[in-house]
Amino acid sequence: MPTSAGNPDPIGADADEALRTRRDHEAIAHLADELLPALIAKLAASGLGEIEVHEGGWKARLRKPAVAHDARPSTARTSEAHVASGPAAGRGSGPRPEERDRRPRPAEEPSEEPGRIAAKSPAVGVYHPRRDLVVGMRVRTGDKIGTVDVLGVKQDVVAPVDGVIGSSLAEAGEAVEYGQDLVRIELPEHTPVDPAGRPAREPAPVAGRA
Amino acid sequence: MLSKVLIANRGEIALRVLRACRTLGIGAVVAYSEADRDSLAAQLADEAICIGPADARHSYLSAPAIISAAVVTGCDAVHPGYGFLSEDEGFAEVVRAHDLTFIGPSAEVLERFASKEATRRILAAHGLPTIPGSGMLRDESHALDEADRIGYPVLIKPSAGGGGKGMRLVRTPRELESTLKVSRSEAMAGFGDDSLYLEKYLDDNRHVEIQVAIDRFGNAIHMGERDCSVQRRHQKIIEETPSPALSDAARKELAERALKAVSAAGYENLGTLEFLVDGKGDAYFIEINNRIQVEHPITELCTGIDLVALQIKIAAGEPLGMTQADVVSRGHAIEFRIMAEDPAKDFRPQAGQIVAYLAPGGPGVRMDSHIYPGYEIPPYYDSLLGKLCVWAPDRPGAIARGDAALRELLVDGVTTNIELHRAILANQIFIDGKVTTNLLDRVGSAPFVAAGTR
Repeated sequence: MPTSAGNPDPIGADADEALRTRRDHEAIAHLADELLPALIAKLAASGLGEIEVHEGGWKARLRKPAVAHDARPSTARTSEAHVASGPAAGRGSGPRPEERDRRPRPAEEPSEEPGRIAAKSPAVGVYHPRRDLVVGMRVRTGDKIGTVDVLGVKQDVVAPVDGVIGSSLAEAGEAVEYGQDLVRIELPEHTPVDPAGRPAREPAPVAGRA
Repeated sequence: MLSKVLIANRGEIALRVLRACRTLGIGAVVAYSEADRDSLAAQLADEAICIGPADARHSYLSAPAIISAAVVTGCDAVHPGYGFLSEDEGFAEVVRAHDLTFIGPSAEVLERFASKEATRRILAAHGLPTIPGSGMLRDESHALDEADRIGYPVLIKPSAGGGGKGMRLVRTPRELESTLKVSRSEAMAGFGDDSLYLEKYLDDNRHVEIQVAIDRFGNAIHMGERDCSVQRRHQKIIEETPSPALSDAARKELAERALKAVSAAGYENLGTLEFLVDGKGDAYFIEINNRIQVEHPITELCTGIDLVALQIKIAAGEPLGMTQADVVSRGHAIEFRIMAEDPAKDFRPQAGQIVAYLAPGGPGVRMDSHIYPGYEIPPYYDSLLGKLCVWAPDRPGAIARGDAALRELLVDGVTTNIELHRAILANQIFIDGKVTTNLLDRVGSAPFVAAGTR
C-alpha cells in the first residue's frame, strides 16, 4: 500500500477509510500548493507536451491539452496561449518551435493508462458527435460515437473499449486530425483500474496514486 | 499569389518546400503521417496536421486525406514534393476540383506526358532524338535489315513487356538469328504476345538531364543540365553540373533543343528532360520528370535561382519574371545523396536513431537534411537522410570541397554511405569525369570502398 510522501502511516494498511481519505487530501494539497506550480513553470519553459513526476507513493502528471477546453486547471494558464482549438483554428499563430505545444501522441498516451482511454479520429476532417451523445452514457467496444467528415464521406468514430462516455475533447464541427482524441471513455466504476485497486475518478488527472 | 500551401510530403523535401514558402511569405501546413510526428518539417512548421498512419497508402498516397487536410486548414494550394502523388494526374485533377492549386503541371499536362512511349513520340515529333529502334519485326530477314540500319549492339524487346522484362542483348547478326526464335516463344509464354521490336543498346552511357521552367504565358527558360551518371541499380548517388561528358557548345545546344521541343509540346511548370548520352556525345531523349527533383539544389547553386519558389510562382499563375538571358550558370556543383544504407551489406536500408549529427560548413557548402540528434528514422519510407551539395568556381575545386565536407559530416547511430562517396570522389574515373551509369554495377561498390580507405 503506498503512502503519501514524507508522511508514513503508523497504523498500517488497515487504517480506517476516514484517516486515509484525510491523508490523501493532505497529500493532494501539498502537490497542488508546492509541486504543481513548479511543474507548470517547467512545462511552460520546456516545450514538452507532458511531464510526470514521482514523489513517494504519488505521481503527478501534467499534459498540455490538444484543445483549449480540455485544459485542466493546472495547465490552462500555460497552454492556452499556445494552443488553439485544433488544426482549423490553426497552430499557425506563430509560436516559436521550441516553445510551441508539442502535439499530443494519440497513439500512445491515453491508452497506456487504464481509465483514461479516448475514442480517436479515424481521419483528418470535420468531427460530428452523435446527437444523443451524453456524458455518462454506456458504450460497448465498436459502438458509433460520431463521425468525421472527409470531403463529404463520413467515417465512423467508435468506442475503443466498453465504458462510459466522459468529457468531450473536440467540439461538433471542429476540424480534427488523424488519431486525435475526441471523446474520453471512462471505464465502468466496478472495474479495478490501478494497482491500488481503486477505480479512476473524474478528478484523477492531476494527481493519483501510483 | 497563393496564401497557404499544404506540404504533402516528408523528409528533406518537406523542409525544402517549407523554406521556399517562408521565403515567399506564404503560409505552410506540413501534412505528416503518424510515423513522422517527430520529423523536423512537422516540428519547424507553424502548422502541422496528421493525415494518417505510417502506411503511405493511407497518408502520403491518400488523395482524400491530403485534400481534406488542405481544406480544413484553409490552404489554397498543395505541394506534392517528389515521389508519392507528385506526378499523378488523377490527384492533380482532384486537387483542382476542390478549388486548390496543384503545385506542378496541370492534370492535362501530366496526362499527356504520363506514358514514356507516348512522350517519346510527342517529343520526337518536336525534333528530339530518341533511341533508334525498329517497328514490329515481321520475320528474320526484316529483323536483320533493321538491326543493320540501327547498328549493333541491339536489344530485342517484347512489345507487351515492360520494366526490362524479356529483353535480350545481341551484338552480331548471328546472335540475332539464333536469339530471335527464343525471344518469340518467351514473349508468347510470358506476355501472351510474340511481337518483338529492336532498340539500339547504348553500352556506356551517361545520364544527362535538362532543367526547364515554363509559365502559362509561354515564357520558357532552361537552367542547363545535370549529370547523374553515378548510379547504382538505376538509383542516382552523385549528381553534378555542368556535365563533364559534354562540351560547352554541346551542352548549350542540347538544352536549347530540349526547351524548344518541350515548349512546343505544350509543357508547363518546372520539368526535367532526361537523356542518355553515348560515347560519341550523341544524346537520346528518354523521359520527362514533371516535378521538382531530388538533385535540384546543384542547379540552384550554379544559377542562384530558387527552383521551388519558381515552381510555386508558376503554379500560382505568375510569369517567370526572367528571360533566358537572365539565367547565368557559374562554377561547378556536386550533390551527394546521404543514405541510411550499408554498402557492405548490399546497401540494405538502415533504421534506428540518429545519435549524433553534425552538418558540414564552409564556403559553397549546403546541407539539405531533416535529421537531428535523437531523430528516429522510421522504417517505412526511403533511406535518404539528406543531400550534401558543394559549389566551387571549377570542378576540381568542387571535388576538393566535397571531400572536405564529407570528412566533416558526422552521422552517428546508423550506417551510411558517406565513405562510399569519398571513395568515388577519390577514384580516377570520377576525377576524369568518365563515369557511366553502369560503372558501379559492373565493378561493384566494394572495390571503390576498399580503394578509398587505403
